[in-house]
Amino acid sequence: MNTALEIHDLTVAFDRKPVLWNIDLMIPQGKLVGIVGPNGAGKSTLIKAAMGILPLSSGYVKLYDQPLESVRERISYVPQRESVDWDFPASVMDVVLMGRYAKLGLFKRPRKADKDVAIDCLKKVGMEGFINRQISQLSGGQQQRTFLARALAQQADLYFMDEPFAGVDAATEKAIFTLLREMTNQGKTVIVVHHDLQSVSQYFDWVVMLNTRLVTSGPTSKTFTSENLEATYGGKLTLLTDVADLMRRENYPNREENVIKS
Amino acid sequence: MNALWEFLSFSDPNIRYVALGSVLLTASSAIVGSFTFLNKKSLVGDAIAHAVLPGICLGFLMAGTKNPLALIAGAFITGWISVILVEYITNKTRIKEDTAIGLILSVFFGIGILMLTVIQKGGNASQSGLDHFLFGKAASLVGSDLITFSIVAITLLVVVFILFKEFSLLAFDKDYARSIGLPVKWIELSLTSLIVLAVVIGIQAVGVVLMAAILITPAAAARFWTDKITVMFLLASIFGAISGLSGAFISYTAPAMPTGPWIVIVISTLAFISFFFAPSRGVIGRYIRQARIRKTINDENVLKIIYQLGEENKNFFIPRLTDEIIRKRFYEKAALVKILKRLTRQGYVERTRNLWGLTEEGKNRAQRIVKIHRLWELYLTTHMHIAPDHVHEDAETIEHLLTPELEEQLEQLLGYPKVDPHQSKIPYADN
Repeated sequence: MNTALEIHDLTVAFDRKPVLWNIDLMIPQGKLVGIVGPNGAGKSTLIKAAMGILPLSSGYVKLYDQPLESVRERISYVPQRESVDWDFPASVMDVVLMGRYAKLGLFKRPRKADKDVAIDCLKKVGMEGFINRQISQLSGGQQQRTFLARALAQQADLYFMDEPFAGVDAATEKAIFTLLREMTNQGKTVIVVHHDLQSVSQYFDWVVMLNTRLVTSGPTSKTFTSENLEATYGGKLTLLTDVADLMRRENYPNREENVIKS
Repeated sequence: MNALWEFLSFSDPNIRYVALGSVLLTASSAIVGSFTFLNKKSLVGDAIAHAVLPGICLGFLMAGTKNPLALIAGAFITGWISVILVEYITNKTRIKEDTAIGLILSVFFGIGILMLTVIQKGGNASQSGLDHFLFGKAASLVGSDLITFSIVAITLLVVVFILFKEFSLLAFDKDYARSIGLPVKWIELSLTSLIVLAVVIGIQAVGVVLMAAILITPAAAARFWTDKITVMFLLASIFGAISGLSGAFISYTAPAMPTGPWIVIVISTLAFISFFFAPSRGVIGRYIRQARIRKTINDENVLKIIYQLGEENKNFFIPRLTDEIIRKRFYEKAALVKILKRLTRQGYVERTRNLWGLTEEGKNRAQRIVKIHRLWELYLTTHMHIAPDHVHEDAETIEHLLTPELEEQLEQLLGYPKVDPHQSKIPYADN
């Protein structure tokens, strides 16, 4: 089985306070993967760290057995819908074209061919009727579809998506799921931060259960059990939280080698 | 008036230079400032503007004259230091950005004023005019100064043009920009440098104190008129240019007058006009739309009442007295007659002396409203499990709002039911 994502001993801290502790994780290619866990479990942090958006306090991330920098054009990221200001002066087309910027490189303007790709991707998410619509006038579901189209325009092999099902209508949820399924059928890997436990068994081949530490990761049928759910959602690790808070208060380094360096 | 004519004819080459220079400086500041605005970093622009003053004094002390290059270099350095300090304070201490900006702005400006006073008391003859940097003096834009400043302004415009795609992406979605591997740090660095430079050259015309206005106000005003980023930048530059030109005119006709305040008054006027009169986002446009909605609601309610009276008699076209309508739902008589007259003009109601009756079109429109009302009540009870005695108020609003597409969806979802939760018949258009 080929590995799409490998995370080794990953710790991520905000303002010295660790929000992810020692994550070790392996995800095979071609799977539809759900990351679940309670609020503040570090689900978004995990994929942001994997995409190099956040600095790592320790550990490393490998994608397709290589560091991020050498395979970046094969990876795509869909941020949380609420993370941007949708009142920005841009059209749906403008946003989807951003998916082509990595291929275009600096300074260059989108070409006709890039627009063709963008229109094609908008068709895939059922947004071809909204190409010139201002993004401020979109519904939540349409905003999410626009973000998906932008990711598709990158023509990547591995997709990280931060809550693509959050706050969308039932029709959009179904359309997005069908699309993700199609993508994994083509051998692409899709890793999704997910909130709705009801649909986990139905949607995902593989599930990552997270609560500041990794509870478990594996095929949904074997992993998504009531014991694991109990371990993820029940029984807070009060001691761990207290230690993390202490590190922030005392301004402590997360790893000893950091002390030697500075 | 003569002065205006003389100015606008641009017959005096000096006027040409001053006007051209002011337009170039304010327009380029407005364009760079548009990115500060989109990045929601408007206050940072203000901090930079105040922080360049000690740099200008430093440049003067180093060069001994008002050499524009020395002044620009000094201003550039202290402007940048202020940005770095704001960032450092925000990241490394628990102090929030707004406080950090307030601190840096006042400290740098204070030092600047101190240095300026020392220089003015120092007796160096060439210092005269240095205080023009406080409130701006467009008329001093002549000769080699003008050339230097114009070159900087054009450089700004070229860099913005080249990096437009990257700057916009960063303003919209920085995390995504990082995820596709853009050199976010470098792009941010160049944008900050552009802002510092825009401030440095803009203060010639506007002055340190009011510089933030020319960075931010044109963008804020332009945003009211458009949702397209390119149009917004174009408008911002035009607004900037207009204010720059008027500043130059003031400076020409009243040399004792500082230019900055006038530029700010002109650009603020443009902003206020935008705020009130811009068609879709302006306050008045919104108010008109609201008034139109209220009218529609009133009209449709009156039609509905006549229709419901008709339901009781099984004949929708019986003409009614205003008192009959008022008995069903209270209106001031004068207001009701006004609505009825409007409906008559529109062809939904016919008047015979003091009697008012529905026309065929009026009946159809009323019927649709009543249908949607009852369908929505049913939807709320069956799909949202709201008690039947709580659904009326909600349906009162929805009945005016629903589009034909949603109306059709609702009909299909409920399967064309015959009666609403209160056993009133739901009227469809066919029967």
